Order: sequence, then structure tokens, then C-alpha cells
Amino acid sequence: MRMASATKPRSRSLLRAYQAAMCEYVKKPREAGLERAYELGRRALEQGAAMVDVAGIYHHALVAVLQRTKEPLECVRKTRVAGNFFVESLSPFEMTYRGHHEAQAALRQLNEGMEAEAKRIAHALHDEAGQLLTNVHFALERLADVLPPCSQPLIEDVRFRLAEMEGQLRRLSHELRPPMLDLLGLVPALQFLAQGVTQRSGIEVVVQGSTPERLSPLVETALYRSVQEALTNVTKHAKASNVTVQVQRQKSEKDAMVVCSVKDDGVGFEIQPLSGEQPRHGLGLLGIRERIKAVAGSLELKSAPGLGTELCIQVPLNT
Amino acid sequence: MPKTSQSAKLAPISTISPPAADEVRIPISCDVDIVKARQAGRRLAEDVGFVFTELALIATAISELARNIVRYAKSGEIAIRPITNSARRGIQIVALDRGPGIRDVEQALQIGFSTAGGLGLGLPGVRRLMDEFDIQSKLGQGTTVRITKWKD
Repeated sequence: MRMASATKPRSRSLLRAYQAAMCEYVKKPREAGLERAYELGRRALEQGAAMVDVAGIYHHALVAVLQRTKEPLECVRKTRVAGNFFVESLSPFEMTYRGHHEAQAALRQLNEGMEAEAKRIAHALHDEAGQLLTNVHFALERLADVLPPCSQPLIEDVRFRLAEMEGQLRRLSHELRPPMLDLLGLVPALQFLAQGVTQRSGIEVVVQGSTPERLSPLVETALYRSVQEALTNVTKHAKASNVTVQVQRQKSEKDAMVVCSVKDDGVGFEIQPLSGEQPRHGLGLLGIRERIKAVAGSLELKSAPGLGTELCIQVPLNT
Repeated sequence: MPKTSQSAKLAPISTISPPAADEVRIPISCDVDIVKARQAGRRLAEDVGFVFTELALIATAISELARNIVRYAKSGEIAIRPITNSARRGIQIVALDRGPGIRDVEQALQIGFSTAGGLGLGLPGVRRLMDEFDIQSKLGQGTTVRITKWKD
């Protein structure tokens, strides 16, 4: 996919400039030539080219440089000089690459911090707010003792509402940081989450699949949060009546990965590739993308108006 | 992450770079000067013992600093010198200008502050290529960036 971009007009002009500069440098290996290489690498980067694009361009240029060279020793010399040019043109990518690593580490740290905070709030909700509600229960019982019998139905109604509130509070605190995720793993936690979504929204959410063994806590949390976010998107925008969440472990010869998909039968939407202007639900998707990136995974969104939406996440398990 | 220090006070040139016998200074005001600075940096770094991939990164750092001078301050100077401490040898590069200065240095070092920075180029990029990074800037008075790379 990346290599195809070498045929785009902008890449073609980059290719021509790269080839000309490299030919020049091979003839006259001076600092100015290396500076040119660095500038071209920078330009490629700013145009959104990948490192492999530059490698492809270099390869083309090298073929052109060597085409009319018969003498073997001269071929060796030219290849070596061209190699210097190549390294120089990759140098700007090295800067970005290091920045990317740092950003990734920062992102992971941020997510871990958010998880810890979610845990804290979940506990506070469960323990402290739960305790307050219990106090209200006691006060209500005392009140029931002194009120005339005719007010009992009213008391009973308040009791019922309190119990309902308690249940909802517990559920929310568990969804915020499901103890199940730590205790039982991803699929049971997702099933619990799905029940809550169905209860609140009326959308039928089915969770299928299993993972034979526990995944790393980082991966489990990233997937749980991503599905949570995806389900929020579905309830907010999709006008769906059914959602299927699937978790599967896939094994190929080289590496194992977990594949997790969230598919709804809602209204869908037009996906605008690579455009800055995403529809409003793009923001939640951005959060998912960042989370999945932090565990070296990838995601794919499939949707079209009237055809529902499917989010498919792949995370490698060797990390 | 390399060591970074910042201070608002702009030190006089003499304290930033005490004259050294093997120091090279290149006035910077156009693209040709950038090439000269790169060449000088590459030669000195080669003498210190850096290998050719490291030389490319050092030249890139010099380019980024010199580019900033040409672009924002119009003119300035780059001083390059080999340095040693008790254990290692290295190369130090000081880019100095009397241009408009940077309003918020902290921000200028963040990814995404400028177009170049958004890609991790520019000052944030330079900081990552080096072992030590020090910047002093004062509005209306100019900017000094001092970077060091040690040979392991």
C-alpha cells in the first residue's frame, strides 16, 4: 500500500529530485550533497512519506546511478557513496522515530494513571457512596417506625427507589473499573459490561468468544476500554438494535494475536479516509486508536450508510 | 530523554563558549553556511571517533539549529568543538543568535508546537538526537542552544 504512493505526483517529483541529487553526489561527494539528502528526507517526511518509501526511492535512484557503470570496482565505490547519501536522507526519520517512542511511553503512562484513577473513583463510589446510602436506609427505617401506617406505601416506594439506586451505583462502579477484569479476565468483564448496556439502552449486546488463557493486564484493559468506548458510540450514534462483540485468539506461524470486534446493525456512516474532518463520533475512536497503539495493536473501522459499523481490533500477544 | 536545562538569562558569548584551540566557528546567514557548519561538525566529530551513522545524526542536528537561525533570526553563529570529560570524548555544538528569541521555551520543546515540531523535527528532534541539550532564550535578545553528544 505504501509503495503505491511512489506513483503519486508529489512522490514522483521527490523521486526525480532524489535521483538527481544522488547522481550528483556520487559524481562529487561533498557536504552540500549530504545536506541535500537531509533536506530531501525532511521533505519526504513532511509530505507524509514512510521510511520504506524513502528506501524505495533510494533503490530506484541507485539502479539509475549504476545503470551505465561497467567497471565492478566503480560499482562498489558508487554503491558505498550512495549509501552515505541514503543514511543522510533517513536521518530526519530518526528524529521522528525517537519522538514517537517517547510519545508512546508517555501515552502508556497516561493510560496507566487513568486506570489507577478509575479504580480509585470506583472504590469511592462503591464504598463511600454505598455507605451513605446505607445511612439513608437506616434513617428511613426510623422514620417508618414513627409515621402512621397510611404512609407505609410511600415509605415502601422510597425503599424501592433506594435499592434501585444502590444497584445502579454498584453496577456503575464495577463498570468503571470492573473487579471482574482483574479477577476473571476480559470476556466475563465484557459480558458484565454488555448486560449493563442492554439494561440501560435496550440494545441487545452479545459477547462471544474466549481466550484460552489470561492476557496481559495492559492488553485486557486496553481491549476492555476500547469495547466500552465502542459500545458508548453505538448507543449514542448508531441507532442499532443488536451488537455482537467477539473476542478470539488467533495464532499464525510466527505470532499470536487477539482479535476483538464490535459489530452493530445500526445506521452506519461514511468513512472519510485520512481527512482531518471526522464526524463527531471520531473523538471516541481517537481514544480507542491511542489505547490500541499503546499496546502495539492496530484497528480497522468498517462502515457505510445503512450497513452498520464494525470495529476490528488486533493486538499482538508477544509484547 | 537527554538532560535538558533552561534558563531565562542569556549569558554573554564568552561564558557560553570559552575560546578553544580546536574550536570552529561558522557565521550563519544562508543555506551555504549551513553546509559549511555541517562539514565542520562532521570533520570534528569524525576526529572524535564517531562512526558514519552517528555523523549523519550530528550533521542533522547542526542543520536543524542552523535552519532555525536562518529562518527566525536571519543571522547568527555556530561554534563546534570536541570536548572531553574524565571518561569520554564528545562533541559540543553551540548555536547562537541575536534574533527575536523564543517566547515560551518549554512550549517550543513540545512535540506539535510548530509544524516541524509536530513531526518531531526542529528543536524537539534535536534534543532527542543528542545526549545533552541546553537552551537559553530571551525575547528581543536572542537564543543560544548548546548540545552535546558523547562517544560511548
